[in-house]
Amino acid sequence: MTAWIDGQAADRNEAVAAAAALLAGARSPLIAGLCAEVAAVQAAFDLARAIGASLDPAAGAALYDDLGALAAGGAMTTTPAEARGRADLVLALGRAPWESGLMRDLAAEGPGRGRAAGRPRALLSLGGPGDGAIQHVAYPVDEAGLPAAVGLLRGLVAGRIAGTHPLADLSVRLREALYGVVLYDPAETGALGAEMLNGLVKDLNESTRCFALPLGDPHQGRAVAQVSAWSTGQGPRVGFGRGTPEHDPWRFDAQRQVAAGEVDAALWLASLPAPLPAWTRTLPTVALLGTPKGGEIGGDAARIVIGVGVPGEAFGAALWHPRRAAIAWQDPAPGAEPQALPPAAAILADLLARLTAPATGGPASPPAARSADEPTAQPESPASC
Amino acid sequence: MLTRIAGGRVIDPTTGRDAIGDVWIEDGRITGPSDRAPDRTIDAAACVVMAGGVEVHSHIAGGNVVLARLLLPELGLSEPDTPNPHGSGRDVGLLYARMGYTTAVEPAMPPVNALATQLELAEIPLLDRGGLCVMGNDDHLLQLLRDRAGRDAVRDLVALNLATSRALGVKVINAGGAEAFKDGAVRFGLDDEVPAYGLTSRTILSGLLDAVEALKVPHPLHVHCSNLGLPGADDSLIETLEAAEGRRIHFAHAQFYAYAAVDRENPLTGGFASAAPRIAEALRRHPNATLDVGQVVFGQTATISLDILRQFSGRKAASPRKWIVNAGDAEGGGIVPFRYRDRGPTSALQFAIGLELMLLSPDPERTILTTDHPNGGPFTAYPRILHLLMDKEARDRELASHPKVAVERSGLAGIAREYTLSEVAQLTRSGPAKLLGLDDRGHLRPGARADVAIYRDQPDRTAMFARAHRVLKDGAVIVEDGEVVAWPRGRTLQLAVEADADMARRTDAYLQGRFGAGLSSFSVPDAAFPGRRGSEPVFEAVACRT
Repeated sequence: MTAWIDGQAADRNEAVAAAAALLAGARSPLIAGLCAEVAAVQAAFDLARAIGASLDPAAGAALYDDLGALAAGGAMTTTPAEARGRADLVLALGRAPWESGLMRDLAAEGPGRGRAAGRPRALLSLGGPGDGAIQHVAYPVDEAGLPAAVGLLRGLVAGRIAGTHPLADLSVRLREALYGVVLYDPAETGALGAEMLNGLVKDLNESTRCFALPLGDPHQGRAVAQVSAWSTGQGPRVGFGRGTPEHDPWRFDAQRQVAAGEVDAALWLASLPAPLPAWTRTLPTVALLGTPKGGEIGGDAARIVIGVGVPGEAFGAALWHPRRAAIAWQDPAPGAEPQALPPAAAILADLLARLTAPATGGPASPPAARSADEPTAQPESPASC
Repeated sequence: MLTRIAGGRVIDPTTGRDAIGDVWIEDGRITGPSDRAPDRTIDAAACVVMAGGVEVHSHIAGGNVVLARLLLPELGLSEPDTPNPHGSGRDVGLLYARMGYTTAVEPAMPPVNALATQLELAEIPLLDRGGLCVMGNDDHLLQLLRDRAGRDAVRDLVALNLATSRALGVKVINAGGAEAFKDGAVRFGLDDEVPAYGLTSRTILSGLLDAVEALKVPHPLHVHCSNLGLPGADDSLIETLEAAEGRRIHFAHAQFYAYAAVDRENPLTGGFASAAPRIAEALRRHPNATLDVGQVVFGQTATISLDILRQFSGRKAASPRKWIVNAGDAEGGGIVPFRYRDRGPTSALQFAIGLELMLLSPDPERTILTTDHPNGGPFTAYPRILHLLMDKEARDRELASHPKVAVERSGLAGIAREYTLSEVAQLTRSGPAKLLGLDDRGHLRPGARADVAIYRDQPDRTAMFARAHRVLKDGAVIVEDGEVVAWPRGRTLQLAVEADADMARRTDAYLQGRFGAGLSSFSVPDAAFPGRRGSEPVFEAVACRT
């Protein structure tokens, strides 16, 4: 089965109609998850604009820690491919880099491009668990934690801390590297740690080259941030409740909004795997869930559940590519049957058409979002599904 | 449907037309006068009728435009009924359309980020759009040049990048400069070597100039020179112009290079004066060259550039004091917020130099109006800039409100020229359309795309050009009385260029080795725009020169 209403198997068209009715009756709808291909995320933003919804990606906290640090002070960054090609020093902060697979890539070869080409690559760890299979130099972090250690390191690099220090040697290595890269996961460092790291990296560039390399979140957050930026002028989280997009990471936090009783209906979009929040079963929710070939999804995840194709598997899609750190095209898996399940974007376009068609009698969306001059308010032909 | 735009003052510099008359439209195209009764008549009495405006250089999409919004949430803020040129793609489309612009080109699309850039361009409604693919700092190209792989190999790699990213043309940004920056450089000129490759910036530039000519790309190589914004940068522009050796070349945001060092012995400490006369004179002598201006506008903005060496050097001028340098896979990008102060001597002089450059122009079709949005300021300043070009008195009043240095170190105050409406149309329509090789726009001759702007003729040229009376896109009215009334989604213009299969195979292997992802990962297929298939294609092909 590919669609359910109240846990009962249903015809997909009926489920889409029920989803439209559920959202049409909402006064403060929420669209969350957004763990999906760009076309579906774009369609979700278009739908949110039309119905006055707020949007919150599953990538949530980690994404905001990085965006917050970025907006506070800026950054100097590089990409995974540049790190592999050029770095003569890699510093892994905390645990996450060791779990990412990138450390193994970086350990496999030395720099081949740029002025460090031919030099050995030093792998260093600050407060990490290490990896027995990868030779590296480990520096400990004391009970003050990782962000504090990065702050101390920044002080040492800038020559602001006198006397001996366990990290003094690390600061010298950073200054002496020709092309340093600091790997981190913003979820682990927090916004303050990321901001301190960005400051450290900028200080190092007064005399050499060193760049931060944030590990992307696993839920398409970095692609969502781009779609949000071009669709609203702002990063996520964002709300269209007043017709004009408003960026407010605190106010439009899905978890907080649900707990505070501020939303009355939701759409959960996850054509790729993402942890399902508990509220999809308690709040009137439409869930669009990616269903891998031969896999099953539960019909009890939400009041209305509609199975959708998995992007990059059932059909080609624009997706975040972690090794490239870019939105990239991903061809479908060999032997994919593209029409087996509709893409989430098609369901969302169908919902948009139903919710903005004059015949529906008008959904409960703010007048500003329904005015005739809205590009997204133009009825679009529902895609085949 | 037959439409007649009746009784307006029709301006088309490509035919010398400047007279009261009609413009006829059928099936989305301009046609000759008809004996048939029109199905629709648009009254243009007391109005000026021109082709839709064409933008050649405005940063409206791409990773760095996104980063600027994330760095400066306060700049891209949405307010009810106040579209923001730093805001969403929708606002950008609306603001251009309202001014009578119907085509806009994003000049900096890195091939590694082409898909995201194209996805973003497609979300700018109302306009036809295009992107220029950026080359000149990417390892693959530099390897070919270093290994003396030959002109054909460079040509094939350029063709492959154009085709894969679905670009309209090619841009080079401080050739080799980003590469040098990553190796520690903070200054880089035309004859400096990219250390790891033993190639000068001149060699890279020349290779790309040849490739663009060989491929018959309609738009000449779009060049962002070295030393942008520094006193003495005029030398960089002139050297680069001479290095072109007669090959077609376009200079982006020339105002930012029109800075003659006052003290040539100590160029970086003695300040600068206008080099606009020198550049205008060089342009007169080199019919192969064009430029866009990069006019400065007072106020807060964000500078966005793939010239990361320059952005890094400019970081300490950031206002507010936060900035990004992303040393990406080729150029990457840098965002440095900046406020052009109307009481600031430097900003005032930059402002004067841009106007001077246009007013000294030997040929307005070759000195195109841009603000290098958002680098010089937002594109929404065009109406005011046109006003100042057309009105000597308004210019003098404006100059009087700024620090004296603008008068002392530029020739602006002494220029009596006032642009005519025909010259305005050259600056903003026929010039940019010719430059991009878009024969079907920028004019009102039969066969042209029916992209038409109708302005109420009024002495306040700022008001006139800010809100068009009517704008037609492909024959359909999209703006009435300055407000958008219909939202066609426009098309993205891409060059019809074939990639060489052998180069595609070699590049696929190269990309696999470097990124763990092959050529397909870098592609921009129609399937990436699933809502836009069938009757509403995203892309439209533009032919190469014959």
